[in-house]
Amino acid sequence: MDATNSFILLGALLLFTSILAGMASSRFGFPLLLIFLGVGMLAGQDGVGGVVFDDFQTAFLIGNLALAIILLDGGLRTHIRTFRVALRPAVSLATVGVMITAGAMGALATWLMGFDWYYGLLMGAIIGSTDAAAVFSLLKGSGTRLNERVGSTLEIESGINDPMAIFLTITLLEVISAGQSLLDPWILVFLVQQFGIGAVLGVAFGFLLREVLRRIELAEGLYALLIASGGLLSFALINELGGSGFLGVYLTGLVIGTARNRGTFHVLRIMDGLAWLAQAGMFLILGLLVTPTAVLDQIVPALILAFALLLVARPIAIWIGLWPFHFNWRETTFIAWVGLRGAVPIVLALFPMIYGIPDAERFFEIAYVVVITSLLIQGSTVPLAARLLKVEVPPLAEPRQRADLNLPIEPRLEMVQFVVGEHTDADGAGLDRLPFGESVTVAGVVRNLALRKAERGFRFQAGDIVLTIIPEDMINDLNRFFTGERRKKAALAEQTFFGAFSLRGGARIADLAQVYGIQPPEALQEATLDEAIKSLLRNPPVVGDSVDLDRVSLTVREMDGPTITQVGLKFREET
Amino acid sequence: MNTAELFPIHHIRIDELYQSRKRVLEVLSGLLADDELGGQQATRIFEALVARERLGCTAIGHGIAVPHGRVDDILTPRGALIRLREGVDFGAPDGAPVTLVIGLVIPEDCPEQHLEILGRLARHLNDPDERETIMEAQSAERVQALMVEWLKDSAEATAS
Repeated sequence: MDATNSFILLGALLLFTSILAGMASSRFGFPLLLIFLGVGMLAGQDGVGGVVFDDFQTAFLIGNLALAIILLDGGLRTHIRTFRVALRPAVSLATVGVMITAGAMGALATWLMGFDWYYGLLMGAIIGSTDAAAVFSLLKGSGTRLNERVGSTLEIESGINDPMAIFLTITLLEVISAGQSLLDPWILVFLVQQFGIGAVLGVAFGFLLREVLRRIELAEGLYALLIASGGLLSFALINELGGSGFLGVYLTGLVIGTARNRGTFHVLRIMDGLAWLAQAGMFLILGLLVTPTAVLDQIVPALILAFALLLVARPIAIWIGLWPFHFNWRETTFIAWVGLRGAVPIVLALFPMIYGIPDAERFFEIAYVVVITSLLIQGSTVPLAARLLKVEVPPLAEPRQRADLNLPIEPRLEMVQFVVGEHTDADGAGLDRLPFGESVTVAGVVRNLALRKAERGFRFQAGDIVLTIIPEDMINDLNRFFTGERRKKAALAEQTFFGAFSLRGGARIADLAQVYGIQPPEALQEATLDEAIKSLLRNPPVVGDSVDLDRVSLTVREMDGPTITQVGLKFREET
Repeated sequence: MNTAELFPIHHIRIDELYQSRKRVLEVLSGLLADDELGGQQATRIFEALVARERLGCTAIGHGIAVPHGRVDDILTPRGALIRLREGVDFGAPDGAPVTLVIGLVIPEDCPEQHLEILGRLARHLNDPDERETIMEAQSAERVQALMVEWLKDSAEATAS
């Protein structure tokens, strides 16, 4: 009993401290995962805690479990509409890119560490996958919004390169432990089997679960648990049948996530917590597991490998992987720089120990150094890199609180609370100044701890909490009205970025030419702005893309799926 | 020409009340039209402004709209300004009802000027402080002085 209780005490204490420390860390733009790892290491055998934990089997189990949950969550969050711009580049990066990274790192490890060639490749495969979750939490913390092409490519890449890195690692371990050759035809069979079964069953489970969720009525909190357990079921069954459970569970999440229905909103929030717990628990355990003094013995070659990965291998892999997709150099450089390594390499580094490979601890220790270096150096510079490389677009702000009303109306209505900020357009304004006045219902205003009605003649005041019922597509504009500071010049003011005037995507180029007396190319005369911009860009358009037409430049301002709906118009004189 | 001619005092109305965007544009067209030519020119200006609105709303956010267009029977650019007591829905991208309307028409053959004046206006209206100054100016004379100041350089450029 005593042992049980001290275990709970220790676990709870670790988690509690980490989350508190994490709150402080996000202010400094410091990756949260490092905190968990650090707390784990401090509690571990070389740290103040002195807890001796070297049960690799348990760590392996937790690692797999956590990875499955994280991948499920990643799938749920991936919007299938982002596939339009990012699927092909992301797949290229997750396949060709991972292989190039693994190959280059493998060659270096072989030479540097005096490894056998296969061991070197194994090292490369272990550190081959990226983790976008860290990137996005950092960007969110700094209020940066990436252009969709870059953001979605990173997001989808990190979702699907995990299965690839896992596959490479397992394949190499099989080859090594069975004394086979990499050129054996069974590897191809293995590849087809892993990805084939994983993909087909993963999608199938997704549809099945989606249907189940649609048909049953549950308490809100249970939906998330049902999805989580369903995802784990899919993961384990697919593994059992010889497929890649990691790919499977990601796809399962993806398919479930396509149904934006009742409860998805809350499910995502609860899943967020679960994924968090998975990450935190895993990093704590991994922090406990590592022996920092042993890592120090490997520090020089490990650091060389880490920097080679950051500065050489990843950029080359990205450059080649994105070659066919016409990303501009800023986008390519940014994607190359934010290839953050997360939990996956450390979990993968446990595999050699499970396989009983001699000297397996070295993989583990090196993977540690690589991940920490990447989190520290790349992690802390993500917002800066986004700004320097100009891959950000004006951010969409979030209101104080929002809740889906689950009404059978399109577009969806939400109950949204805004806090009126000082020096905003709302401060001192009457109800007649409210954006989209026709479509917005002000249910009430909380002022001086009392709820009051907003009747004719009412004026907003800084500090008011405004309760509104509005269509979801207006949230951003209302939020700007209530919280966008009038005096503050945003670093990326919308008007500066897009231009002062907006045009409809459906307007014709010929009419634009007539109003402004500009001379567009003959071929574009009959086109709409939407068509003209698409024909002038080499990639599917995303918000923020811009083209020049005679003396004006046109910037994509708003999109509805693949269609450009709003275009910013800028005159050269404005810049 | 100088900017005071571009925005003559009788083209500036600062305490108006209208119900619709169409009405605002009509009044604006009337202000922009030559007095002696009267109704006919006002109609052509109104049509030019509406043609531009069809490309996309000219509201630029924060309750400001800048309707503009090219007209063939005027000789110099002309501006007019209406400030409203209550917001009118222009269909602005940010949804804000419009309370300040700055109209501009340009002769057919000088689009160069057209773009320059618009760009300049947009830049000044992008500045929160300048926006507040013009929104709170107490008299038409004060508003005119602001316009003169904002457009000073472009007036000099077009005079030479």
